[in-house]
Amino acid sequence: MEYSIMKNKLFLGIFAICMLVVTSCNDLLDVEPKQSISADQALDTPQKVEAAVIGAYDDLSSVDLLGGTLIYGSDLLGDDGSVTWFGTFSQPDELWSKTILTDNSFVRDVWLQGYETIDATNNALSALDVIEDADMRDRVEGQAKLIRGIVYFELVRFFGRDWADGDPSQNPGIPIVLEPTRDFENPPTTRNSVEEVYTQVIDDLTDAKALLPSSIEIDNTVLGNTYVASAYLSRVYLQQREYEDAGSEAGRVINSGNYSLTPLVSGAFNNPTNSTEDVFAIQVSDQDGANDMNTFYAGSQHSGREDIELTGFFDLFTGLFDAADDTRDDFIHFGASFGGPLTSKWTNFRNGNINIVRLAEMYLTRGEASFRTGTDINGVPPEDDFNMIRDRAGQEDIDAADINLDYIFTERYLELAFEGHILHDIKRFERSASGFAWNAPELIFPIPQREIDASGGDLEQNAGYGS
Amino acid sequence: MKIKATVIPVLFAFLLFSGLMSEAQAQEREITGTVTAASSGEPLPGVTVLVQGSQGIGTATDGQGNYSISVPDQYDVLVFSYVGYVSQEVTIGDQTEINVQLQEDVQQLEDVVVVGYGSRIKEEVTGNISSVSGDEISQVPVNSVESAIQGQSAGVFVNSSNGKLGQGIQMRIRGSSSISASSEPLYVIDGVPMVSSNESFNGAPTNPLADLNFNDIESIDILKDASAAAIYGSRASNGVVIITTKGGQSGETQFNLNYQTGFSNPTRTRDWLNGEEYIELFTEAAANYPGGDLSGAYIEGQFDSFSSGTDWRNGEVNSDWQDEAFQDASINKFDLSASGGNDKTTFYVSGSYSDEEGILIRNSFERISGRLNLDHKVNDNLRLGTNLSLARTVNNRVSNDNGFATPMQLVALPPITPIYEPDQDALPNYQPTDQLNNNTLYFNNLLYKDNAKYQVTNYRNVGNAFAEYDLSNNLVWRSEFGIDLLELNGEEYYNSQVARNTGAPLGLGYNRFVRRGNYNTNHYLTFNTSLAENHNLEAIGGFEYQYTQRDETWVQGENFPNDDFQQVADAALLTGGTATETAYSFLSYFSRANYDYNGKYLLTLSARIDGSSRFSDENQYGFFPAASAGWVISDEDFLADLETISFLKLRASYGITGNAEIGNFPSQGLFGSSTYSRISGIQPIQIENQDLKWEQTAQLDFGVDFGLFEDRITGEVDYYIKNTEDLLLNVNVPGATGYSVQTQNLGKLENKGFELVLNSVNSVGEFAWNTSFNFSINRNKVTDIDGQVIEGGYINRAVEGEAIGVFFAREFAGANPANGDAIYFLNRDPSQAELDNGTVFQVNEMHGDRYVTNSFNAAERVVIGNPNPDFTGGLSNRFQYKGFDLNVLFQFVYGNDIYNGGGRFQSASADYFDNQTRDQYTDRWQEPGDITDVPQARLFGANGTGDSSRYLSDGSYLRLKKVTFGYNLPASTLETIGLSKARVYLSGVNLLTFTDYEGWDPEVNTDYLSGGNLSLGNDFYSAPQARTITLGLNVGF
Repeated sequence: MEYSIMKNKLFLGIFAICMLVVTSCNDLLDVEPKQSISADQALDTPQKVEAAVIGAYDDLSSVDLLGGTLIYGSDLLGDDGSVTWFGTFSQPDELWSKTILTDNSFVRDVWLQGYETIDATNNALSALDVIEDADMRDRVEGQAKLIRGIVYFELVRFFGRDWADGDPSQNPGIPIVLEPTRDFENPPTTRNSVEEVYTQVIDDLTDAKALLPSSIEIDNTVLGNTYVASAYLSRVYLQQREYEDAGSEAGRVINSGNYSLTPLVSGAFNNPTNSTEDVFAIQVSDQDGANDMNTFYAGSQHSGREDIELTGFFDLFTGLFDAADDTRDDFIHFGASFGGPLTSKWTNFRNGNINIVRLAEMYLTRGEASFRTGTDINGVPPEDDFNMIRDRAGQEDIDAADINLDYIFTERYLELAFEGHILHDIKRFERSASGFAWNAPELIFPIPQREIDASGGDLEQNAGYGS
Repeated sequence: MKIKATVIPVLFAFLLFSGLMSEAQAQEREITGTVTAASSGEPLPGVTVLVQGSQGIGTATDGQGNYSISVPDQYDVLVFSYVGYVSQEVTIGDQTEINVQLQEDVQQLEDVVVVGYGSRIKEEVTGNISSVSGDEISQVPVNSVESAIQGQSAGVFVNSSNGKLGQGIQMRIRGSSSISASSEPLYVIDGVPMVSSNESFNGAPTNPLADLNFNDIESIDILKDASAAAIYGSRASNGVVIITTKGGQSGETQFNLNYQTGFSNPTRTRDWLNGEEYIELFTEAAANYPGGDLSGAYIEGQFDSFSSGTDWRNGEVNSDWQDEAFQDASINKFDLSASGGNDKTTFYVSGSYSDEEGILIRNSFERISGRLNLDHKVNDNLRLGTNLSLARTVNNRVSNDNGFATPMQLVALPPITPIYEPDQDALPNYQPTDQLNNNTLYFNNLLYKDNAKYQVTNYRNVGNAFAEYDLSNNLVWRSEFGIDLLELNGEEYYNSQVARNTGAPLGLGYNRFVRRGNYNTNHYLTFNTSLAENHNLEAIGGFEYQYTQRDETWVQGENFPNDDFQQVADAALLTGGTATETAYSFLSYFSRANYDYNGKYLLTLSARIDGSSRFSDENQYGFFPAASAGWVISDEDFLADLETISFLKLRASYGITGNAEIGNFPSQGLFGSSTYSRISGIQPIQIENQDLKWEQTAQLDFGVDFGLFEDRITGEVDYYIKNTEDLLLNVNVPGATGYSVQTQNLGKLENKGFELVLNSVNSVGEFAWNTSFNFSINRNKVTDIDGQVIEGGYINRAVEGEAIGVFFAREFAGANPANGDAIYFLNRDPSQAELDNGTVFQVNEMHGDRYVTNSFNAAERVVIGNPNPDFTGGLSNRFQYKGFDLNVLFQFVYGNDIYNGGGRFQSASADYFDNQTRDQYTDRWQEPGDITDVPQARLFGANGTGDSSRYLSDGSYLRLKKVTFGYNLPASTLETIGLSKARVYLSGVNLLTFTDYEGWDPEVNTDYLSGGNLSLGNDFYSAPQARTITLGLNVGF
């Protein structure tokens, strides 16, 4: 009996100890994430702030932005009979047939990913004070502003009316957000005007142009430099019909000496490292990066789905173009599954960098600007710029007398087809796409239904997309 | 603190205890006898024979029902008990031979139910607990335990996502109580809370319970109301499923062997166009192409291409692609168990092997498992034991429903497309070669047969060890330590032959390893006393800690030397890889007190405090109290004389439970890593929300338990209201913030319902017939989400005032009789401009004066249906005659809708070249005046292909869920061959399905969308359920 009571006490003691041990260990509930870090410490060293800019590049390269929808979305929505969408994804189909539904998830993701990128740049910009080294601070600030400028520009030209379509100071653009999000108390739900967004874009890109050096390369990865800012500024000014500024920014890129045209058209594409012609390219490696142009444009032998066939593209090689000799006409392949003609611009799924700005575009821009302003920008007559492009493609030189807007539009399309220019060029040249006028509401993305809903109805929908 | 409160009763107990220690050693006598079943006269093996009042003196009958036991003189009563029979007490007196006939148990009220940290007699339970005995589910030829109990429990809705093996199954106990947090119940197996999150990596959830051999299960107790569940506090809002595995009984070792073999095929198939119809429909559709007539060379060129040059004009090829997706599936299951022991130690050991083929090609599931359950009495005070199970499962999986590689997507291929490459020399005649056709409209996934591998191997180890010590005769200390360990290896390999689908010309391989360790320990005291005569009190108190850690590594490789090399190690290029770790923990204190006065007035109080690592320091702990009361009216004098009512109990309960089944770090502000090409960076991924706390559900339950005519009819009726507040909601935030959602405590929802259970013994004796019926109604309503629009699935939504997951889309109005355009109800007032320009109009002959439009964007979206059933239930009948038995279970689900997300491809008015369902041909609009729901066929015309009620259909069904017909060899025969039991039986599952559903099978929720709570009732090329028929043999010796 003594023994039993002893034993009971012993067991009770063990129980009590167990209980005390457990109750005293509040850290039993301290479990911290391993793959992520606390926001408080995320931006407290110069290296971390610079890493935030790399994070913004990653966002920018997503298939919802420059790795995909912003490029083929322009090609499909702006298509004027060059291609046929054969795929089963209804979202790109809606773009191609110009009947976008407000709940189109690809359009929604452009918006979401766009602002995610902007928030990433705002985070980096908010922590510039941490960086004491002036060169490094300029580099970080310049790149953050470059990326932010690019994203605002891309979003405003997809979600807002064209600059010249009515009054840009009255037309709704997109919300401008310049501070990193820290809570959801007063989220931005009103659209700034198209003009305000353009002003912000020009501010950002101009700052970037001033802050960035002529080249940044880390581990074989080429980041944005001052000429990328100029190249994008040339696009912005073109869209604003500010041809002189557009031409001079393009000229700055051409005259930098950084870039040269590749000898062959084919050499400009599908390169694992930037070609001499790449002013700006999304960097793709074996382990990272995705390319939805490849997915939709390429044949199955190149890991593509063969969704976009070049059904009417070849009809463009008429008049001032000699289809037989033009290497751009030949730069195609036939799908292994369906046999249709497909562009060869996007056939390196694994590690091909994604061309965003090629030097060829800069020549075309400066040539157009010179033609439109009637001046030889940088002292170069417009036909010389166009002939740079034509020579490489195997075409006869063009005479100054033959240059007109139709010619320029077509030359641009033949050179830059399937690289995301056509929608914006149709708007600039005030032409039409498959019967839809350049300023038709169908050629503008709807504000995603989810955004209207999440704003409690405060965000204004674009015309033509219901109430 | 808490310790003091328990020390006092412990000391009390010691005083009582000392009185028992002075007993002297006494004389013994030997009693022998035979136990038989009253109905059949057959001997009963394994009947427990206990000496009443002794501390565990007992034995069990042998294979012939004989027993022999030594009984100390001071005891005079033997208790004979056996599962499924009424226990019987016999006074020994002068007898030395006692033969007993046990009556089969017609009443279930005296069954013991497991309540969490203990068990109670059902009669005394004041909460709502639904029990399913192991007998009900053993040897049912299904893949997992949830399927086995489907239709057998009121208030428990089980829905598999599709007919793939090992695939996720949704279980909802009394409705969904959350929108963004999990709505799956907590599973506790032998005291170990299981981690039931799935580890699938193809987007289609797998079933974490498929690793469990459910033939080892003794009972499943489902805690439904707050009083029952609140002892599990923060984990209990969705109900708790307690699984108890079998133990041994002292006596001769009983072996039980079971073998089952059979086959499966799909419950239902669909009708598709044949080659001739396909050509006719698509030629017409091409002519109607909105951009001009394509019916000539263009469409013929397409047909030439689809038919690979075979003569489509003369029907050379007419492939039945649907048939290719299915296979004749075999099923084989083998179980062997042994149980027995002596008065100190009892055991249950089992081993099982099951090998099932899916009805879908390339799909199979193999499980090998073993179990050891051991109980040992060290001495009168101390008991030890363990429950240990080991299982290995191998699941050959197929792609999720949304992949071209899922077999069901073969139905999209045109019937004029040959299955094999045609012999080029024989064209235009079709001479199949042995090469599968790779020039198909979509990827021909039959090619996966020899060129792809997708295998997931799990090792699952669930076990616990416990010690129980009687600190006194009414105070017991129990400690348990348990582990639920899952190790998973997923291997995928796709060779060069299937590059068309994988995009990897030289092969693609993945290998993924996941280890998920979950350990759990709990310690509690149980105090049992009579405070005074007829005042009984049982109280428990204790604490529990659980820690779960998940580690994962994954690697992807491409460029294999040739198709013979299949391991990632052979890949020239590693194109992806990761290693991650995450964890969470719970620390909890719980207590419960049951008080009753003379078994007549019952009261239960419980409380639990839970701490979770998932919340910030300020909001880490939650308090979950519950109370319930019961009144056994039939024990009152005024009812004692009423013959009709043999038992009547009223009960009521109220309590609060919680839910924390969300991500592991939702309250923290976080940055994650990201990679841009070869450089690494960081990105903001989550904004902090320190205020985040538990989701809470308050549940009120009123119930009546009754027994009529000496419990020939028993039943339960329950009414409940569950109100969930502070929903853990993934709130949509404006995208301009850079984020799309944040988890916040926002909103409320309500479930209320009614449950009825009726059991009746219609006939006893030689012909025995029992009926069980259960019926449940649950009404779910989202009462407040602050105007948020929360979407899931294709068109599911949370809408205030509506049930969770209602279908929100445009309302389809058929084909415009004038021109065959798809039209939609406007569902708002039209503007004058719309009326003037003709986009909005009326089609009086079809829809009276309701406004319709052919502009999809112009039509307003409305609630068009509800994926939640109005009511569900089951009806089972058991018949027994001589050696024969028949068990028939019907299961029904009524009033739910199903949305077919694949409709826009399958029934799309020939919008694209996918083969179409037959109604698109037979019912199509062809000329002005046609009144039909199938708009004009228009190639590339998107004529009615947007999400609308066109693709919604009624999902109600009545199913002959389970039939078992068995024959038991008579005892006389058995004796001659030395067996204690021999049974032959035929089982069928899903034998008949009665439904108006337009798709394959109405029990569906497409796997790639089935993760959330909103995404309900969706179909997308989802495999139908399997109809399985097996022949089984069960032998005991």
